[in-house]
Amino acid sequence: MDEELIGFFREPCSQCSVVNWGVTEEGGYYCKSCHNVIERTVEVTDPSCVTGSRVSAISHGAKKPAKQKHGKDWMVCEGFQFILKQQAEALLAMGVRPELKDDILCNFWRGYLHKSQQAYTTKPLYSVTSQQESDSCPESLAASELSCLSKAETESDMDGARSTISGWSSDGGRLSSVCTEALDSSLYCSARERRMHHLMTMPMTLAFLHLSLLWLQEAITLADLLRFTAEGHIPYINAYQNFPEDMKLFGRDALIFRVESLPSYKMVQEEAHNLAIFLDLPRFPPLTSACLLHPSLLCLRYLMELNLPDELHVWVCWVMQQAGVGKDTFLTYDPWAEKSGLLNYDILASALIVVTLKLLFKLDDQQEWCLSNSADDENKQNQDSSIFCFRKWYKTVQGALVVAKEAEEQAMARKSWKSQKPVYPSMRNKSVVIKRRRVVEQLQAQFQKLTGSDPQPRQDSPSSFRLRWGEEDGGGPSYQGRRLGSAVKKRKGSARPSNPTYWHTALSSCKPRHCTDHFLEMEDSLPRSYVSVLGMVSFLLGVQETHVHAEVCLLERLLFKRPCQPRTKTSHGSRRKK
Amino acid sequence: MYATCVTLKFTRRCGEAARIADRFNRTVRPSPALGGMITNGCMLKSFKVTEEKGNPLPPQREKKPKTSPCVLRCGTAYGNLLAMDDISAEWMTSPVRDCGSDNDVSNDDDDEDDEEEEPIRKRSKWPDLPIPAPWYGETSKETGFHRSSRLCLNQIRECLLEHRWQEAAEYLISYFQTLEEISTPRQLLATEIIFRLGSEILHQHPNSKLEDVNHFFDLMKNTGVRGYLKISLEHSFHLLLTGNFDDAVRQLTTAESWRYGKQSAVQADKMKLIHAYRGFLSYLSWISKKGSSSEDDDGDVSAIQEMHTYFRQACISLQEILKLPGVWDPFVVGYVNMLEFYNDHEGALNVLKEYAYDSRFPPNPNAHVYLYRFLKRQGSTEKKQIRVLKILGALVPSHELMLELFSLLLESGTEQSLKEALDVLFNLLDDCSWKHSVAAWTCFRNMIKLLRRKKLKHLLEEGWETRKDWWPAFHFRTYHARADFQLSRQLLLMKVVVASTLVGNKCMYCRRKNELENEREARRMIKTHKKRKR
Repeated sequence: MDEELIGFFREPCSQCSVVNWGVTEEGGYYCKSCHNVIERTVEVTDPSCVTGSRVSAISHGAKKPAKQKHGKDWMVCEGFQFILKQQAEALLAMGVRPELKDDILCNFWRGYLHKSQQAYTTKPLYSVTSQQESDSCPESLAASELSCLSKAETESDMDGARSTISGWSSDGGRLSSVCTEALDSSLYCSARERRMHHLMTMPMTLAFLHLSLLWLQEAITLADLLRFTAEGHIPYINAYQNFPEDMKLFGRDALIFRVESLPSYKMVQEEAHNLAIFLDLPRFPPLTSACLLHPSLLCLRYLMELNLPDELHVWVCWVMQQAGVGKDTFLTYDPWAEKSGLLNYDILASALIVVTLKLLFKLDDQQEWCLSNSADDENKQNQDSSIFCFRKWYKTVQGALVVAKEAEEQAMARKSWKSQKPVYPSMRNKSVVIKRRRVVEQLQAQFQKLTGSDPQPRQDSPSSFRLRWGEEDGGGPSYQGRRLGSAVKKRKGSARPSNPTYWHTALSSCKPRHCTDHFLEMEDSLPRSYVSVLGMVSFLLGVQETHVHAEVCLLERLLFKRPCQPRTKTSHGSRRKK
Repeated sequence: MYATCVTLKFTRRCGEAARIADRFNRTVRPSPALGGMITNGCMLKSFKVTEEKGNPLPPQREKKPKTSPCVLRCGTAYGNLLAMDDISAEWMTSPVRDCGSDNDVSNDDDDEDDEEEEPIRKRSKWPDLPIPAPWYGETSKETGFHRSSRLCLNQIRECLLEHRWQEAAEYLISYFQTLEEISTPRQLLATEIIFRLGSEILHQHPNSKLEDVNHFFDLMKNTGVRGYLKISLEHSFHLLLTGNFDDAVRQLTTAESWRYGKQSAVQADKMKLIHAYRGFLSYLSWISKKGSSSEDDDGDVSAIQEMHTYFRQACISLQEILKLPGVWDPFVVGYVNMLEFYNDHEGALNVLKEYAYDSRFPPNPNAHVYLYRFLKRQGSTEKKQIRVLKILGALVPSHELMLELFSLLLESGTEQSLKEALDVLFNLLDDCSWKHSVAAWTCFRNMIKLLRRKKLKHLLEEGWETRKDWWPAFHFRTYHARADFQLSRQLLLMKVVVASTLVGNKCMYCRRKNELENEREARRMIKTHKKRKR
């Protein structure tokens, strides 16, 4: 009987702030942790005051507790389905075509459930043997799965969605405890099981999104996807907060759904590739030059973002042709093709730009500054500044990047990771966890009052561009319309870069599993201007420099595709341009 | 720094305290008052551990309390925050150890858990040595949440260093989420950091009020019951600083009666400190009563009785704490002061002797200073005084009382004592803080004169032998002469005598002195000439 009374009374103790009430024989409440006996009173929760003030006594009759609240039984995959649905809706809100959710993602998800034997199967991975309807369960789940994603637009209201999402039919008789974890969460806790059955993880939700976006050939690259996730435009951190009321997280669920970091680019890419193989996906639709994911169009976007002149685009396309990376046979993703992984289109595009810059300006800490001097001279002669000057560009972009990096760091420092609704690892810890949450909230409220700051910081709308140029509040003047000037020479009717040589690092490829990249060990020996251009590009994409560098090396290998002698890793080969 | 402020606060309360504070300032250690004492609360702890585990640490460990990171960690919040450079050091020595090594979130509030923990603790792989806790720095496997909190702490540190309290408070709002840390060691560390940062920011923020501070302290006390007593103590310090003496007393009284399952037993060492401070505050009340009753002179019976009550309260607590090894300077001073007032000179002398000579106590120059001053007040024999000062000199050769030792030795006048006096002087001037002291150099000049008169110049050679290769560069360069002359002519003249005796008449210092003197003479001539013209 204590349980009932206590369940109703959830005020923190005035002495120790713990919610851990017991009822004495006289019917009074006492705090189990500090043995503070209180009168049967209701406390007004006033965050400005710890002890609060007692306002009125409540009668015994009113204390009859309502029927105990408990969640329905649910499966972990339902939770992930809910998260995927929310993420897909967020993407739709950004302007992605609606087919993403209803056709592609939904089909991928169904395929996944089937392949991993979680639904649409006669032999489910987890079966409730204690229940009579065990054989009918997967069917009902399947039915609900079907309805969920495809019908969601008709059931716009939350209640409708809820009824279908946790459609696991169950009568409440089996439920006795207040908190239940998902039925099959124990499966997810062993790494072996997870690997064997290819069970869901939080990073896999992003892999799903990435694959569907790729199938649809939407303009959102993986780098964009990760950035939107980090900025909170796509629900990921604490996505479980928005679960419907009857899906209560408890215990081991926390290990599955709680995230404390964002997955890296590489990780999601690998997950996506593995998923594509697991789902047995066919060759993706061919990626033609009209698609936004095509490098030539992506390059345009990155040129704009890097504040480089549009004239460079011709050269980028030329490099793309030479390397043979513009063809749809190269670009289209086929999970079953030999030696194929997922292409990183965004990194490829930015590597193209880096190679083009190396082609025109050499980036060896000498040539580019000489060219800048001659560009300055030309500008002086013409009395304007229509010629692109590498030095000016470098100063502008570097300055803006430093500011942007600092802002990013500050945003990271202010980032909130913890959920409003904490998950209790066990019943025993519940009071402690609740108390911590409450203390944090009280402290935050107190300091917000002290500083007079806004509790909910303003969130910018999602944008493809991180830096803006040529606007009032932008990073600096725009160099888009500038001409390349003396960096390009006309010879025999065709344009040639005036820079005669091109340097590159060793072209021989390393063994794939033995050594991954040599960027860190040779970073010091590389020209500074090259490293800073890599830094700019990698900051824009949110990946590490080494990835961009590896992509540049790959491109160079494709460009100079003749059998070459092995070189030492750190020496700079220098060869005449073909 | 905080400690000094608190002491200064007392100064306003009572004239007697001012005298004490003044005395503290004249002692060697930079802030030996309250801050120092917390430090020793921790030291006290390490001793307790030794006793309990039956695993005595080697004695030299006990004698070097300053090097123990444990002591470092327990410096007061305010003091350390103001010297935020050390925050990394703070991190290195997290409070993990004094809270056991359990990895369960729950046992914060659960007594039963503590019982279960006990055997585990004995088996734990953490030996009971002051080993720094793992350093949570940047690693490749750092989670985003930890990266956020690391960056946030860095930002707060920057803000605090530049006194941008508003911004620091804003960042702290984000930092509070670390309280919900899952791993227990990190969570405990977060509690400590938040408590320190929060109290510092609230102390400095222009908008903060006393209620805010009280609310914050109350919240923090209940968040980590393991730090309840420490936070209570800091709370009372804060109240003292803001002039709420009575509230501070109340705070300590509440803390004294705090019971929380096994938690209060675990914090027994902190409890001893609480008792001691409670006694110290009683002593301060006693002083103020004494001041007011001596003004009246009527000898109001009730006032005297009240004073006596305070005396008894203070005595009991202070006696207790003085039994434990540690640096208890203000407590000792207070206790001795009271004993002297009630004419218990013998008792006072015993207390001071115990404090200075007990080998369990860490070496503490102040202990000898107090003993010397007491002896001087009592008018005891010079021999005794010299003995005490010699020990002090062995500990701190550059102590300001060394000049007194010098004159005491000089008075006795034997050749042996003259030799010792000369040693004292040499040692004193080895230290660069005495480099420009006119008094010290005057003493040296007088000494030389005396030795010449007594034909004991060979004594000078012995001290000079070890110093002749570095003193000329240290004291007697031309540049020194110029600097000394700018400082005071007297100093220059004194040093010249010493230099010419030790180095020789033709040393750089003497030559430069002659030039300077000539210049001065010339300038004087010109001045007088001009005057005459007019």
